[in-house]
Amino acid sequence: MSETPKDLPEGASRRLQELEHGLFTSDLSVNEFLLIKEVGFHPLGFVMGSSIYHTGIQTRKWGQSQELTKLTGAMYEARELAMARMEEEADELGADGVVGVRLDVNYYEWGKDAAEFIAVGTAVKAENGVSHRNKLGKPFTSDLSGQDFWTLMQTGYIPQGLVMGTCVYHIAHRGLGQTLGSAGQNVELPNFTQALYEARELAMTRMQDESNRLGASGIVGVRLEEKSHQWGSHTIEFLSLGTAVVKTSDEVTLPKPTTIISLDN
Amino acid sequence: MAEVADDLPEAAGRRFADGAFSSGLTVPDFAACLQMGLEPVGYVQGFCVMQWGWRGMASPYGGFGAPNQGGPGSYTESWRCPHGFVSAEHRGWGQNFEQSWVEDAWVQGFSSAYERMVEEATSLGAHGVVGLVDTSGRLGDLGVLEFRVQGTAVRVKEGPAPVDGRPWTTYLAGQRLAKLIEAGYAPVSITAGVASVRIWAYCITEYLTEGSATAWGSQMAGAEIEQTAKAHMAVRRIAREHVRAQLGGDSLHGASLVTTERELGQGDAELQCILRGNRVRRFKSFDPIPAPRPTVRLS
Amino acid sequence: MTDSPSHGLGVGDDGAADNEGGNLEQEMLEAARSLSRPAAAQSSMTSDLSIDEELTLHSIGWEPIELVCGVSLHAVPMGVWNWGQGEITYASGAYMSSFATATERIHRECAKAGGHGVVGVHVEWAVHRHHIDVTLVGTAVRPVGSKRVAAESVFVSDLSGRDFTLLHASGWAPLGLAAGASFVYAPRRSMGTAMKQKSQNVELTNFTEAMYAARESAMERMQQSAIAMRGTGVVEVKVTEGPMAFAHHAVGFTAYGTVVHLVAEQHRSLAPTTVLPLDDAVRAFDATSLRGT
Repeated sequence: MSETPKDLPEGASRRLQELEHGLFTSDLSVNEFLLIKEVGFHPLGFVMGSSIYHTGIQTRKWGQSQELTKLTGAMYEARELAMARMEEEADELGADGVVGVRLDVNYYEWGKDAAEFIAVGTAVKAENGVSHRNKLGKPFTSDLSGQDFWTLMQTGYIPQGLVMGTCVYHIAHRGLGQTLGSAGQNVELPNFTQALYEARELAMTRMQDESNRLGASGIVGVRLEEKSHQWGSHTIEFLSLGTAVVKTSDEVTLPKPTTIISLDN
Repeated sequence: MAEVADDLPEAAGRRFADGAFSSGLTVPDFAACLQMGLEPVGYVQGFCVMQWGWRGMASPYGGFGAPNQGGPGSYTESWRCPHGFVSAEHRGWGQNFEQSWVEDAWVQGFSSAYERMVEEATSLGAHGVVGLVDTSGRLGDLGVLEFRVQGTAVRVKEGPAPVDGRPWTTYLAGQRLAKLIEAGYAPVSITAGVASVRIWAYCITEYLTEGSATAWGSQMAGAEIEQTAKAHMAVRRIAREHVRAQLGGDSLHGASLVTTERELGQGDAELQCILRGNRVRRFKSFDPIPAPRPTVRLS
Repeated sequence: MTDSPSHGLGVGDDGAADNEGGNLEQEMLEAARSLSRPAAAQSSMTSDLSIDEELTLHSIGWEPIELVCGVSLHAVPMGVWNWGQGEITYASGAYMSSFATATERIHRECAKAGGHGVVGVHVEWAVHRHHIDVTLVGTAVRPVGSKRVAAESVFVSDLSGRDFTLLHASGWAPLGLAAGASFVYAPRRSMGTAMKQKSQNVELTNFTEAMYAARESAMERMQQSAIAMRGTGVVEVKVTEGPMAFAHHAVGFTAYGTVVHLVAEQHRSLAPTTVLPLDDAVRAFDATSLRGT
């Protein structure tokens, strides 16, 4: 995670102070709240971070499929800023980690070429006072729901951080012309294949790099998202997200489930 | 050919004469019915089309000028303008009142549709109707409102003939109905009540609604639009009162309260609230179920 | 936050599993026969709770008594939405006043009916050009056969009957609904100017600051409301944000949730058991989605 100087809005500090005095807030459902308590954690407060970033498209050579490195950098930086601010809020609260992290992107009509990146979640802390922060001494982040957190904690693994890798790729237009040339034949389009393949691999590799930096054993819940944001269909952002976890114990305390068959729809 | 009442289509008779039943139940609901000893006997429906002019009574400004008296016991509340004489167009007074003729017309339409469905059920020898669905909607822009009530008629295995020849009815079906019975409630009938309130805005309401409050003093900016808020509270209260009057000691379960608003400009509006639910009667004392066991489903 | 579909803290009714078919038929017959007797002269109950909610409430000894509601709308003066700077205080105020007044009204109806609190409140609110309205509809509940309580201890919550039961079993109780809002103008500097000055992809700090601050502000107001109720926490916070349909340069942030506090000595563990439903339908294979759940 990048080191960001303290740059939370003034209102945030006030709000976080109220939370430090004992009130907790969370967008967890009652189910999730109870399950988090079950594994010995307590919610501290709703934390959030956001960043409005210019994401305008750079000039590109039309002939080649390639990564648009500046844009990749921008998308990465924007989400990192949002996440870092959310982590800072969690840090202020003395949290061990953040669960239920959601990363959203908002587009506003008055902000063409810009998008707002938001990270929100619920900061939690272990009730027994044992620190559960990650290898870097920061609160862990995870997009696990309360139920998934409950399940994971009982398998001897704990979350380290939400890891992501992104790649903004431009698919060459000339590839289209070649397509038309071979219209009527069912053939592979090597340009397209290669471009999309490379983009996805880049995104995944970067995500794994983040995970390695955290000293994680592995990543759970990986998903790959593809968005064109506001760039048109030839430019796609490939975003790979997952929660890095580390093994802390060989003991699996997850109770053996009863098998049931529900006779309803 | 089955005997059908005079105002049902002839086709209904032919349909009922056919031995096999049709029903609106899904497979799980059907299975649950059989578990309860309910045998489906046929799909029944009733319709009624009412003329429905939305014009109602025009505002007294530019129309006829006297406050509405309303029917006996119906809601009415009025407001006087706090300003001195301003102009002929200035709305010196306003009124919220209950439009009992609209309510009566709705009740007539709904009851007719319901009664026709009941007739179909009776002609099949049904004891009750489950999985009732009631909708109403305008047909295109013909200025008419159609009321539709449909459900699945059932017989209770070895059950008694319906009281006063009228089958019991309920919106519930399947497992929900089974749980209702297990909880100790017997379905009596569906119940619906309607309230219609008209707002004739007075000057303050008009200005607040149109957003020009600042013209009359900034202390009004951000104020509550009292006349409209009271109309909203009243319309929901009246709908509940109308339903309560029909319960006769029974209870209302699984209610749905739906309010719609039609803005008529200059702060005027017409509010309608319909409360629907199942009228149920306790037939046995209910022992609470033991505290349910919390579980976490692993996939 | 909605539960992930594959996991659920479910509330299973073992009673149904033990019920033989014959028992249910018997009860249906008894129910049908009871209709020939007049209703017992007891006061009518009205409720919009589902039968499941009623059953779970009953398992902790509570019952529904009456359908209650509260509505309020506050005006937003003309010209307020025209592009200005900073917060649109009239709008924020109108939202919070409407929410507070609607809550007071449903609270009053509940107290009048003898309820100890309202559960399952459906919260609906809308921002129009010249007013903001809030509508609350729910069911007043109380411990079976209990007397009235002081109006101050009557609670209002948007928790479902089931969630109320789960919290109750763990030693928590709801206090009321807390809400906060902040409506702001997007910063004045046109995007065009910003773009000319920056050729690189960078953060737009003044925009960030404005949106971030507004979000925090809405949350903080909700928290203040919770603190005023002496709550320990707010659960099931629902956050919405977005531009106004009729004024795209105005953005509204709202947050509301149910305030709770611990009534037992300490939190009681529920110790849920895990179940593995063998419900996989044979023909449910969808190659496009993750096969695991």
